[in-house]
Amino acid sequence: MCPLCGWDVLVSYLICGTLHSVDQYLNIKLTDISVTDPEKYPHMLSVKNCFIRGSVVRYVQLPADEVDTQLLQDAARKEALQQKQ
Amino acid sequence: MVLLRSVPPPTEGVRHEQGETTAVLDGKGLGTGTLYVAETRLSWFDGSGMGFSLEYPTISLHAISRDLSAYPQEHLYVMVNAKLNDEMQENAHDDEEDEDEEDDCEGITEIRFVPSDKAALESMFSAMCECQALHPDPDDEDSNGDFDGDEYDVEEAAPEHGQGDIPSFCTYEEGVSGLRAEGQATLQRLEGMLAQSVANTFHMAGVRTDETNGEFDDGVEVDAGSTVAGQFEDADIDH
Repeated sequence: MCPLCGWDVLVSYLICGTLHSVDQYLNIKLTDISVTDPEKYPHMLSVKNCFIRGSVVRYVQLPADEVDTQLLQDAARKEALQQKQ
Repeated sequence: MVLLRSVPPPTEGVRHEQGETTAVLDGKGLGTGTLYVAETRLSWFDGSGMGFSLEYPTISLHAISRDLSAYPQEHLYVMVNAKLNDEMQENAHDDEEDEDEEDDCEGITEIRFVPSDKAALESMFSAMCECQALHPDPDDEDSNGDFDGDEYDVEEAAPEHGQGDIPSFCTYEEGVSGLRAEGQATLQRLEGMLAQSVANTFHMAGVRTDETNGEFDDGVEVDAGSTVAGQFEDADIDH
């Protein structure tokens, strides 16, 4: 299971939710989502879960106090090196 | 062009077909038809031949909407990363009714597929998830600027395998082979420091260190001893 799953994340300053899963293309499934700007995206108010295409994700904001960034970087590097081989 | 008026519904690779489905494009109802969630594209046609198709790379997001207070029917919500004109009608533009949704800075289109059979929504959603995964972006155009440039030297990278947003990394062997003696000494020193820090680190909740990530499903065991070493291989390389 993805190491970040279960954490609350903010995607591209638009959608906040609990990270359900993510794949190798960074496609993201969020649950219990909320929209930061309901006026801009009114239809999203009725959505609980969503799938976000990885290529449109600009950045994902993680809760700072729950993340050891050094560990996360190490894990990401290892994973990328393994995928490279 | 995202909106294809005359392309027929796909016949192959249809992961899910849902009849009696109303399409609502930016708040404008298009009538009732059939939604085809195919591996090549997402299509909807109303039976008389009128319809549209969407390419998966243009679909930013899709979701199931069940809150009846926000919209009177449960439906599949799709956000398209493009501004679609109503090309299904030859007449002059008459889609002026929902101006408040058309002025997004990025230019998006919101589409709702409302099936008469609400129980099919999960299958429709899942089928779209599967098809989305079949269409990753082919080029690594995104530079992933959040990464520190010193640590991820893509100049040395071997040709990427099309992993989408994941940047390419050179292998440990490729990096070490380019080091001079003092570079290798530096590498050994840094490797030692890093190995020590990894060994002393507690297993942070949820952060994987040497377990295989089932989500990535490549079955590769991560060996902390061999893979941490390659992180600083570019420290003393002549560029």
